[in-house]
Amino acid sequence: MKYMILLYASQQDYEAMQGKSPVKEAWTGEQLGAMAAFMEKFHQEIAESGELVDAHGLDAPVHTRRIQMRGGVPVVTDGPYSEAQEVLAGYTIVECPSFDRATELAARMSQCPPGPEGAEGLYTDVRPIIEGHEYVDV
Amino acid sequence: MSDVENLLRELAPQVLGAVVRRYGHFDLAEDAAQEAFLAAATQWPRDGLPENPRAWLITVASRRLTDLLRSEQSRRQREETVARQELPDGWLAPGADRGGAVRSDADDSLILLFLCCHPSLSPASQIALTLRAVGGLTTAEIGRAFLVPEATMTRRITRAKQTIKDRGGPLGPRFDMPPPAERVERLGAVLHVLYLIFNEGYASTAGPTLQRSDLAREAIRLARLVHLLLPDDSEVAGLLALMLLTDARRTARTDADGALVPMALQNRSLWDADQIAEGVALVTAALPRGAVGPYQVQAAIAALHDEALSAEATDWPQIVALYEVLLQISDNPVVALNHAVAVAMVFGPAAGLELLVALDGDERIAEDHRLHAVRGHLLEMAGDRSGARASYVAAAARTANSPQQRYLHDRVARLDS
Repeated sequence: MKYMILLYASQQDYEAMQGKSPVKEAWTGEQLGAMAAFMEKFHQEIAESGELVDAHGLDAPVHTRRIQMRGGVPVVTDGPYSEAQEVLAGYTIVECPSFDRATELAARMSQCPPGPEGAEGLYTDVRPIIEGHEYVDV
Repeated sequence: MSDVENLLRELAPQVLGAVVRRYGHFDLAEDAAQEAFLAAATQWPRDGLPENPRAWLITVASRRLTDLLRSEQSRRQREETVARQELPDGWLAPGADRGGAVRSDADDSLILLFLCCHPSLSPASQIALTLRAVGGLTTAEIGRAFLVPEATMTRRITRAKQTIKDRGGPLGPRFDMPPPAERVERLGAVLHVLYLIFNEGYASTAGPTLQRSDLAREAIRLARLVHLLLPDDSEVAGLLALMLLTDARRTARTDADGALVPMALQNRSLWDADQIAEGVALVTAALPRGAVGPYQVQAAIAALHDEALSAEATDWPQIVALYEVLLQISDNPVVALNHAVAVAMVFGPAAGLELLVALDGDERIAEDHRLHAVRGHLLEMAGDRSGARASYVAAAARTANSPQQRYLHDRVARLDS
């Protein structure tokens, strides 16, 4: 069964990591290094166990383009999110035998070393992915 | 049982397993699966089987679970109760024995059995939950089988699920095999529950009919399932053999009026030869494998009875020896009682009666009708008619099972004539 582990961050978080946020404290080189090392090790482990399907980080929210229907025509908005809004920042898709195991993997991932503001309140979601062959018309 | 019913009962643990695996929430998933089975039981006979019955049931149960979760979550939000709890430590460490292992429907059935027979539940709850979640029986059916109103059975099952949920932490019980260190003990609990279900069906403790053979059949079906899952476990094989060898005598055990016929007087041509052959083969294959457990020994005893052409031709010395093995494994007064009977068959009634004296002081059986009935038989064998009569009267006063009462009163009447 496949599950998606979702990570969230705001435009401000992205900027804090680069040390140029006007409102959030900048990450240190050690903090960035610790996070990168943790993520690399975690993903390597689940690749070795055969559970990793795919994982990617998304570029800064400011690069988002939203296409929305307006009066029957698709209209494009450049950068639809506010600076502080938390949006999808990355995902890891795992394939494992149960929701419990996927939750365990997400919990381990949530132990990633945090930035200067600490880990308090940071969150990760895990959701089952619909796989067509599992369901039938009833 | 109809084909649809058979199919549903077979698919029950697979469907529940698949839903709990994918979404968690054992308690709600169990309700959702039941609703899917009920929908199938009404729709399939009318509209025909769907192309993939298992996928149909999983789809319907998953949708129902989504509904149940939605209403639970919105109720929680209305009440502003916090569903947040700390994740247990075990969920954060990389589990060495977990990971990407491929699991099957077979594993799911076994995990469900372990969950339903959780040590925090009373035997009555373990039985009810096992029959529902693994056996696929409805609450009404289980209530009928145990002569308990449906509402009572519903409460019992709901409470059992709540207990398991509470024990499992914030996300309910983890859907996983118990750790290897616990597995033997937990399997023991599963086998004990199946044994109790069988006994309830075979020698019902109350009510107008001596045997509720549906329960015995269900216990055999579930024991077969466990044997299929763990073919190398000799106690599992022993339990299945014991059930088959005991149940083989079912038809001969009651007469046309529904009265109890003791084994010595049973018409042995009514015994089920196929079931006996299967049971004997199972126990014969199991006995040489590893440590001998109580179910194998009991099955071996049942096999000796089943293979004897008459009560007199029974290998009683061998049965005495096996009961002595059994007494060493477990301190069980019913085993001691049966041992006394076997001893009486080999060494005469006085030797048996002597062994019963010790049981009079055992509060677990002193007030049990079986002790008094056996004493009645042995006294009758010894020619003590008035003593036998008194024991039969005492036994009849101590059972709620009408055929047994009738049998005991009949013994009294025969002594009086």
